[in-house]
Amino acid sequence: MTIVTQPATPPLAPSKSSEAVDPVYRQIRDLVYKVSGIYKAEEKLYLLADGCGRRMKQLGARNPREYWDQLTSQPGRDGELRQLLNEITIGETCLFRSQPQLDALRKVILPEIVAEKTKQITKRLRIWSAGCSTGEESYTLAMNMLEESERLLKGWTVEILATDLNDRSVETAKAGIYGDYALRATTEYFRRKYFSAGEEKKLQVRPEVKKLITFSRLNLQDESKMLFMKGMDLIFCCNVLIYFDGASKSKVINHFFSNLNFGGYFFLGTSESLMKLNDQFHLVHFPGTIAYWKPSLKSGKL
Amino acid sequence: MTASFTETIRERVQGIETMPAIPAVFLPLLKLLSSSGEEAKVDEVVRLVSYDNTIAAQCLRVAGSPLFGLAQPPKSIKGAVISLGLRRVETILLTCCLGQAFPAKKWVLDPVVFWRHSLGCAMVCRKFSEKLATADAEKAYMAGLLHDIGFMVNCLVFSKEFATAMERACQEEIPLDEAEQATMGFTHCDTGRALAEKWKLADDVIEVIAHHHAIEQSQKAQPLVALVHLSDLLCRMRGLGYGYYERHKADLIGDPAWAILSKEYRDLEGMDLVRFTFELDEAVAEIHSLVATVFGSAPART
Repeated sequence: MTIVTQPATPPLAPSKSSEAVDPVYRQIRDLVYKVSGIYKAEEKLYLLADGCGRRMKQLGARNPREYWDQLTSQPGRDGELRQLLNEITIGETCLFRSQPQLDALRKVILPEIVAEKTKQITKRLRIWSAGCSTGEESYTLAMNMLEESERLLKGWTVEILATDLNDRSVETAKAGIYGDYALRATTEYFRRKYFSAGEEKKLQVRPEVKKLITFSRLNLQDESKMLFMKGMDLIFCCNVLIYFDGASKSKVINHFFSNLNFGGYFFLGTSESLMKLNDQFHLVHFPGTIAYWKPSLKSGKL
Repeated sequence: MTASFTETIRERVQGIETMPAIPAVFLPLLKLLSSSGEEAKVDEVVRLVSYDNTIAAQCLRVAGSPLFGLAQPPKSIKGAVISLGLRRVETILLTCCLGQAFPAKKWVLDPVVFWRHSLGCAMVCRKFSEKLATADAEKAYMAGLLHDIGFMVNCLVFSKEFATAMERACQEEIPLDEAEQATMGFTHCDTGRALAEKWKLADDVIEVIAHHHAIEQSQKAQPLVALVHLSDLLCRMRGLGYGYYERHKADLIGDPAWAILSKEYRDLEGMDLVRFTFELDEAVAEIHSLVATVFGSAPART
């Protein structure tokens, strides 16, 4: 018998998310990945389609195919891609955005770093939130470190450096006032413990959390300043490098690598990849999340 | 483990009367999986399945479930193959066979979790070897599907000891094979091997079952064992593990298994493991539904 031509794995029952996704969006997904390292999974293709839809409306493109042409032909190709990246990463930020990342941090990474540094006289943990935007990630990290302050990190000093290129973002971050949307993944436990009531039903981060963080403006492409960010144990840089071209991305990543202590970790956004831009970092998997590791001297993996 | 100890396990597994017989169509189906020639395969599968009404009926029930979104539920196995593709039907059939070989009672490990892991690993093994031009994808699928059958033996023959191991693994959040070794003195690799020998599975599959947690002990079929080892690890890190949090850092590229594979397959070097991981996430939901459909409301075999 002959089998009717069909894909090796035919699509499953159309669900709300995957219904009628134009194949062009898969092409766009691959382009976005190639250029930025952001991967929109099949079940999230509708989000990509939504983002493209908003751009198409702005540009007056009549169908995805026309939009694809605008995305791939000069002039304006790079600018349009940037606009699209903005669209698909917008609204992603909130406190406690990635629980698997926090679990890996508290259950696997911190015990490892603490064990590694146990013989050092000053017990100090340095974390850098690079591209901290309006501060959600920085405060999330601070609260989680405070949770460990009576256990793993007893007797340790924790310093969090949070930097962003945008002055206004830094100011908003410093204020530490968040509404329901930013707090949608924050449990009651954390809300009660680390926030106080602010205006208009918003919540304000308590001073003891703020105390851990230093916010400042920094351009990741400012080579001379990047040289002064040494001695980090953890660096988080979420959805920032996606806007950089290959060469500048490479440069920034090399800085991150040399700014990290041996045994330190570098985290990107949850659907973001470093691709092949640095071969010194070791890609490591934790349950539900990945990170890039600068091997410790003891590990023999350098 | 000493030779006499291995012998004891083998005797216990061989002698056990409750050890279920493998459904008659299972082994021929496995053989078919690794043969080539789509057309001959379809006819052969249809012929084989017609020998076992229960399996055929269950397969049709699953194929007609909303999971696959067919407008018309298939009336025959051939019909199912035409609408779903041979691969999906093979997966359904093998899963039904294995599911029937083991009664629903006496499970220590949640069967749903076990099947998700086994099917997930099978799928990752196949996808993985498809990235490696010269690898045998169907063989890899089979090895992935069967690699953990030792857990079934543990549930049936050593249920009390295994329950202690499972409890310890969950409590300490350590890999299950470590907990088995620590509490029982042997692992599912040892019991799986005994069952695989009783079932007279192919030598390389036995090798995978026996050594997927300790590749260095593998004498033959090292690349296949390495492939399953890495796929197993990846599944456990991406939500297809044993249903509890494993405090584990997996450095797949730094794993000796990776070196073994890249020696055998040159194309491994060019593989984008992060993208591969993201693509695997896309399949997780499908595996959850498949397992729920096969094992959720399956009528008991009489």
